[in-house]
Amino acid sequence: MMSRQSLIVAKWEFLRFFKWKQQLISYLLMLGVMAAVALWSFFTDESRQQYRIAVPAQLEIANTEQFQFQRPGISFTEQLAQMRSDDSWHAVISEEQGELVLHTLTGKKWLAQLETVLQQHYRQLSAAQMGLSTAQLNRLEQPVVINTRYLDQNYKGKDTPEKMIALGALILLFVGLSTAFGQVLMSITGEKQQRVTEQLYAIVTPQQWMDGKVLGHSFSALKAMVTSGLVMLLAFAVVSLFAKKAVDLSWINIGVVLWLIPFALLGVVLCASFMGAIAASIDDPNNSGKSAVMMITWLPMVFTFMVIDSPAGWGMTVLSFVPLTSFAAMPVKMAMVTVPWWQPLLSLMLLLATVYWMRRVAGRVFLRGMQMYGKEPSWGEIVRWAVSNKTE
Amino acid sequence: MQLIVTAISKAYASVQAVQQVSFQINSGEIFALLGPNGAGKSSIIRMLVGMTQPDSGSIMISYQDEHFDHVPRRLLGYLPEDRGLYPDKSIEKNLLYLAQLHGLSKSKALSEMDYWLDVFDLTDRRHEDLKQLSKGNQQKVQLIAAVLHQPALVILDEPFSGLDPINQEKVVLFLKQLKAKGMTVILSAHQMAMVEKLADHMLLMAQGRAVLAGTLQHIQQQSQSRRRMKIGTVSAVSAEQLQQLDAVLSVEALQAQHFLLTLADDVSVSDCLKQLLLQVELTLVEMQTPDLHQLYLAAMAKHKPEVAA
Repeated sequence: MMSRQSLIVAKWEFLRFFKWKQQLISYLLMLGVMAAVALWSFFTDESRQQYRIAVPAQLEIANTEQFQFQRPGISFTEQLAQMRSDDSWHAVISEEQGELVLHTLTGKKWLAQLETVLQQHYRQLSAAQMGLSTAQLNRLEQPVVINTRYLDQNYKGKDTPEKMIALGALILLFVGLSTAFGQVLMSITGEKQQRVTEQLYAIVTPQQWMDGKVLGHSFSALKAMVTSGLVMLLAFAVVSLFAKKAVDLSWINIGVVLWLIPFALLGVVLCASFMGAIAASIDDPNNSGKSAVMMITWLPMVFTFMVIDSPAGWGMTVLSFVPLTSFAAMPVKMAMVTVPWWQPLLSLMLLLATVYWMRRVAGRVFLRGMQMYGKEPSWGEIVRWAVSNKTE
Repeated sequence: MQLIVTAISKAYASVQAVQQVSFQINSGEIFALLGPNGAGKSSIIRMLVGMTQPDSGSIMISYQDEHFDHVPRRLLGYLPEDRGLYPDKSIEKNLLYLAQLHGLSKSKALSEMDYWLDVFDLTDRRHEDLKQLSKGNQQKVQLIAAVLHQPALVILDEPFSGLDPINQEKVVLFLKQLKAKGMTVILSAHQMAMVEKLADHMLLMAQGRAVLAGTLQHIQQQSQSRRRMKIGTVSAVSAEQLQQLDAVLSVEALQAQHFLLTLADDVSVSDCLKQLLLQVELTLVEMQTPDLHQLYLAAMAKHKPEVAA
């Protein structure tokens, strides 16, 4: 099925966009940016400082770690003057017509935290006036606990670790297909503009060329997905370490992950073939509206995400069997619902057949598109080529 | 290898690109397709390569008891009219990639590359990216790409275009080397002086039709162009005086006391000489054979109204 020439094209395409030095530098830059954000956040964190707040003499509010409430023996006007002149106070609180007024020089992030402390104090004060104990107030503030028991034994639960895997898979597919989108478009239309295409046609068949392109860019997409997956796991491990917890990866369901791999692989190849077919019909990417159509490949993830909370519903069932969406929907469904073994197998077979058909379509579109010499084919022509049998 | 093209025609939309063209090429020959832009040369080449099929007529290629309706990829080395390589990759990477696609092992590809890079004085620049090279040098790399795998048939669409005279001469030498190695070459060109030095057979085309075909000598005979005689005179004589002679149709003054005479159709060379000797004493008499450039221009002038009609 895959010729030696296709593998050479695939290797060339993969390495053409795989610049490990630049990639390493971009990861280091990303880490540098994250470190800079963390440092900036640390140094500008106002919650670690203490603030002196002048309050009216009758306001008996307890101090917190962050706020020191003091009742100065000077007039309110003098308090404001002190705040303006020598930073004696970070804020001055007064009572006017039964309402609290917060006086401060400018807007600050810690003011919201001060408001929370004041709200809490007045809630407790009101509760005491109503004769409620602190325990009664706490109970009032707690939401009602509602436990849901699912009777369908196949449903694994709403917020299970498997759902995290499913969401992670969707995110990784987005990453992979975004990578493939840019590379396939640039590679195929770029070759046309650099006028390499006709030379390559004299060496390899359109199908060999397209197979190589699809395979090479699918590998690039998979590499991006694997790298992103590893970065996610690394971030999880780092967060765990900072939280002084052991790195627990027991939530990773190996059974689900093993099913996810062939679906992701075929899904990426299917989308890369579709993108290849569209890119092959584009003569000049700067003046063609067709490149936007390649973004259709993101729809399976969007549709799946929209029904992720109903994994056993008809929507997810349809999506998990239709070959154009099953690569995204079936792994998600499997992560959240126990499905009979034949369902993923049937879905996978249908997907495999569609991948085979789509790569043939891409090869045909490339061949016929190239024979048009500078004229971009219409959608009608593309559809006619897709259903024809001409490969040479 | 033998290639026989019989009465092929090809139309694109409302344009008749090729009309009833026939020719034959034998193994080891250099065959030139000549003609102005839009004459149909590239359309013929694309049909030979198999990118398009003729609307009518046939192409038959015979190679070692096998027959094909277009040149099989394994036998073909091709320099398209619309050409380019990967500008961000080095000469070596570009050539290695194409050679491996042709089925060459890395070591074989590298040894062939060494040879051809040396021929074109590009050995020292093999690790430079293509975009760093001049247009002429990029063209040389593309010529190497077309022959690296030692194809039986090399098709070169406009191999001289974009090259300065020195590099054009290098391409002439390159093509002679291909012939010496036993490769059959089909090329299209405008550069008649180059083609004259190289081509065993040629086909002159105008607006999709074959106008003249054969060897240079055959074409010279076919063209039936007027006989021209270069003369030198001992004493001064004016062009107007020579123009008075019945045997002379027109006179072109060259340098001092040298003229190029076009003979009248019904006058023999000896009659013309007799008339001349009555007028002047001659220091030089030389019959001029029209070169390919002149034949080409004459053919285009002769056939354009006919084709347009």
